Amino acid sequence: MYELFEIMQSEWALRALIASSLVGVMCGVLGSFIVLRNMSMIGDALAHAILPGVVFAYIFVGVYSVLAFFIGAVLAGLISALLMTWIQQNVNTKNDAAIGIVFTAMFSIGVMAISYISQEHGVHLDLKDFLFGNILGVANEDLWLTGAIAFYVLLSIILFYRYLFVTTFQPVIAETMGISTKIIHYFLMLLLSFAVVASLRTVGVILVVAMLITPASTALLLSNRLKQVVLLSGIIGLFSAVVGLILAIKFETTPGPAMTVTATVIYLLAVFFAPEKGLLFKYLNKRNAQKRIFLEDTLKQVLKLHEKGVLSLSKLVDRMGAPLAKVKANVQLLAKKNVLQFDGKNITMTEKGIQEANRLVRAHRLWETYLVQQVGLNTEQIHEDAEQKEHYLTDDILDEMEEHLGYPTVDPHGSPIPKTRKLLKHFLGQLLPGKKGIISKQQLNENITSRLWELNLFPGTTFHLVESGTDFIKIKLEQGEIELSKSLAQSINVDIVGE
Amino acid sequence: MSTIIKVKGLTVSYDRKTVLSNIYLDIQQGGLYGVLGPNGAGKSTLFKSILGLIDIDSGSIRFKEKPIIENRKKLVYIPQKGDVDWNFPATVMDVVLMGRYPHKKIWERLDKTDNEIALEALRDVGIEHLRNRQIGELSGGQQQRVFLARALCQEADVFLFDEPFVGVDVTTEKKIVQILKRLATEGKTLLVVHHDLSKVVEYFDHVILLNQRLIAAGETIATFNEENIAKAYGGQLTILNKPALLTRKK
Repeated sequence: MYELFEIMQSEWALRALIASSLVGVMCGVLGSFIVLRNMSMIGDALAHAILPGVVFAYIFVGVYSVLAFFIGAVLAGLISALLMTWIQQNVNTKNDAAIGIVFTAMFSIGVMAISYISQEHGVHLDLKDFLFGNILGVANEDLWLTGAIAFYVLLSIILFYRYLFVTTFQPVIAETMGISTKIIHYFLMLLLSFAVVASLRTVGVILVVAMLITPASTALLLSNRLKQVVLLSGIIGLFSAVVGLILAIKFETTPGPAMTVTATVIYLLAVFFAPEKGLLFKYLNKRNAQKRIFLEDTLKQVLKLHEKGVLSLSKLVDRMGAPLAKVKANVQLLAKKNVLQFDGKNITMTEKGIQEANRLVRAHRLWETYLVQQVGLNTEQIHEDAEQKEHYLTDDILDEMEEHLGYPTVDPHGSPIPKTRKLLKHFLGQLLPGKKGIISKQQLNENITSRLWELNLFPGTTFHLVESGTDFIKIKLEQGEIELSKSLAQSINVDIVGE
Repeated sequence: MSTIIKVKGLTVSYDRKTVLSNIYLDIQQGGLYGVLGPNGAGKSTLFKSILGLIDIDSGSIRFKEKPIIENRKKLVYIPQKGDVDWNFPATVMDVVLMGRYPHKKIWERLDKTDNEIALEALRDVGIEHLRNRQIGELSGGQQQRVFLARALCQEADVFLFDEPFVGVDVTTEKKIVQILKRLATEGKTLLVVHHDLSKVVEYFDHVILLNQRLIAAGETIATFNEENIAKAYGGQLTILNKPALLTRKK
């Protein structure tokens, strides 16, 4: 470790570090737009296509000149960009094929030119340096050029941020605002050529595309806002470049690939662990949804079986066709939520449980009604779909559907649709003594209805409220007075007479 | 009412196929226009010509007697919501603020006032509470409202809507119509490409009937009649005319 620290203090290592940082940030930031505009292929192509520009610059100038390299590379980049666009617009060739044709041709010309000059002029230009970079040989003038380019690219992006945003998001709108999408496109191609030239020494032409698209793709998994994506991408680019360089020095390997691998590892981490867009998050979300659905199904079954008397756990397991342990765990969870009561053997429902189960029944039956009434399906086609949908329909949507369907009372199979508390106005338990009323036809759920039948309180029965205590109420009917528990009375829907 | 956009002898063709031929139009300020015609009638081409997005073969289009190019920010286009990548990393607010871009010089940043204008627009279309949502999380109706809010932000004089009611819910459609009518009373001019002939009488005070040529243009009561509809829609009329004519008889 100390050794590494020593090395990093030497001048060549420092130069390499600065060059890598600049390239990392610049490629990261520029790359966000390249990825969002589906230009990744073009980025890769441009990187390869600048090779002949660099070689010819060398042939013409005769010595290694940073400025000549730069001009040659940018020219080659722009010529390639124009050629690709021209083919795409004027020749009957597919877009990506046009890109492929141009960049392979340009690259091949470059490779041939390299072997020509090394044979004819006895100059040794190492092709490998172009392909994978040679960051350890970064000279001071390389550093100045990289710095100037990075500055220019970043400044352009800050200055033209709005233009880039609107042309990338919605080109038509940009045009109506007088922003030429064509000019922005070529401007980006220019910046791309700049970035490739600046990255030549660091990562080389083959891997520069990794610095452009991998950090940007990572950032896109992490954020939903363009500004954050651009910033994050720059930071990830910087981090990958620096860590890659240090790893390369430590393990004495080539820096370009080390940077690429670092960026890829970060990308993979994001693929799995990113909040919201990560695979782990999606998996957990899905599993939670499945758990919830199973829980809701259990509750619904309990409601159905419960109506027929005492319900034992084994009966529920039979009905659900699921393993005992799973069903038992569900029942215990529901008991914890105070939706059920479970004594280890028998299950009873609480008022809260009945409410929740009825919510599901209501969703199921309203959806079935909708499918028959509005979509025109027949009664045999609807059950399966409603089994799915009942778990996803929100109260708001259900209320709106109910209104839209004209407050149906029964579903297409003839089963009653439970009402929500909101729709029922008066409850017996809330009335003041002295009031007169009628037992309403619509009750919260079938449970209440059957309790009322047991008490001979049929719909339409007129009553007179005599007394309303804390635990019970007393009502007077034609045949005499009866007492009801307050908790039941709170759930009995009544219509008031004489108001 | 005064003429805000004057189209004179507009002819446009793509690949030697004429799409619009010799169109003359006087669009009145404060008018709410339904732009009607069958598929391929040149409705979108008319919009693109007015917005200066395409080259025209001949003719001229003037905004208050001046070329459109000089008045770009006075016109705003509300495109169909289908042509956008809704996964784009942008929030509702980001998109609505785009409406402020034409008011800014390149070195100027968006400021507090722009934010307030954008919020006001969002309130107006009823989705202020969604301002920090990523745009892909919205329903079709809400997405259309985002575009409308962005257009309101631009404070333009002329609004060009391309089928704003496609794929939106009933509540949103009502809301959009309500805003369109209000904008018209405020003196804004609105052109709306529209397909549902049954709503024409209810929604628009003017209509433009196109089918490559200009079939008719003028106030809805005088212009939107069986004869003109038949001329514009030709053979396609049989399916389309029924609801339209039913509405007219009422």
